[in-house]
Amino acid sequence: MKLPLILAALLLVAAPAQAHKLKVFATAEGAVIVGTVYFSGGDKAMAVAGVVTGPDGTVAGRVITDRDGIFRFTAHSRMDHTITMDAGDGHMATTVIAAAELPPSLPQEQVGGPQEQVGGPQEQVGWPQEQVGWPQEQVGGATPPPARQTAAGEAITPETVETAVARQIGPLRRQLDAYEDQVRLHDILGGIGIIFGLFGTAAWLSVRRQTP
Amino acid sequence: MAHIPDGVLSNPVLMAGAAVSLAGVALGLRELDPVKVPKVAVLSAVLFVAALVHFPVGLSSVHLLLNGLAGIVLGPAVFPAMLVALLLQAVLFGFGGLVVLGVNTMTMAVPALVAGSLFRRLWRNGGSPRRASLLGAVAGGGAVLLTALMVALVLTLSGREFATAARLVVLTHLPVMVIEAAFTAAAIALLARVKPELLA
Repeated sequence: MKLPLILAALLLVAAPAQAHKLKVFATAEGAVIVGTVYFSGGDKAMAVAGVVTGPDGTVAGRVITDRDGIFRFTAHSRMDHTITMDAGDGHMATTVIAAAELPPSLPQEQVGGPQEQVGGPQEQVGWPQEQVGWPQEQVGGATPPPARQTAAGEAITPETVETAVARQIGPLRRQLDAYEDQVRLHDILGGIGIIFGLFGTAAWLSVRRQTP
Repeated sequence: MAHIPDGVLSNPVLMAGAAVSLAGVALGLRELDPVKVPKVAVLSAVLFVAALVHFPVGLSSVHLLLNGLAGIVLGPAVFPAMLVALLLQAVLFGFGGLVVLGVNTMTMAVPALVAGSLFRRLWRNGGSPRRASLLGAVAGGGAVLLTALMVALVLTLSGREFATAARLVVLTHLPVMVIEAAFTAAAIALLARVKPELLA
């Protein structure tokens, strides 16, 4: 009778880290890069540390995930941010936030001071930016499109539109990401087929070699 | 955990792992006669599928390694079987990298071989199914523990702190060890009863 109890206890103690691979999904929400880190089964990866590096490999800052597997990092310049998360047990994941995803108002290519940010209690994670079609060539000198006013008096700037649209398509992107990661039956069956085909061919060849 | 991705391990560790796995595969293929090939194919398919089936337990989900069972049934031929299974997992599902395939094969197949040899030596085709299942439990659980330790070791050799890596890897493998021991015991008991020549 003791064995099932011990088994149950061990299973409860186990950290949800027994998985195939670590995944990181990050998007820029304005100048804040928000990411979720999870294992391929979907379990959130808590307290996983990561490094944010610029295109030239310089360290822009460090992040660590909170209880929900979320981290936040404020970008200080408009450059490609490479985020490398390392669970310490051989699991590692990398993702890149392209410069185009960050708001044009940030200075170009300057590595920000190191900082550590733990994700807040926000429910929602990461809104992508790059699908929104404000022409990027305007960055720098050109005048931004004229700001309009909402009924409430808030100015509608390109950035508020970007954030709003990104918020709408965020769930879709995450769903796509999860869908891509699924293990599908036809892949499994195909793999089994390859294995038997391979060993079958090996047996056939070796038998043919033995019988003249 | 036998799925270390690319970019984690250092080059000397990668090369050593590839060398060990290559030697193992050569040994396995040399001892492989055509009559045994279907057995290797079946076990290779089992290894391939085992890592894809997740058991939801508590907050976590685990999967079996089954390297102990494969080692008992296959002997040195576990190397080619493991290599093929891991290669397909990497190519089809992205579980583990391609460059680290040698190391991943080593950390899975060497414990399998050790567990298998130990089982054969202790059982010697003479025991009861009960004894076989007991030895199977030890071999199954022991192979998982040894795999976890080897993973921790290759991580250490690549510049990580052994204590941290070992604690993380071994702790997360404790439930797998228990389930694996139970599963291997059941499978071996069945084999001992129905098809004892597979264990000889």
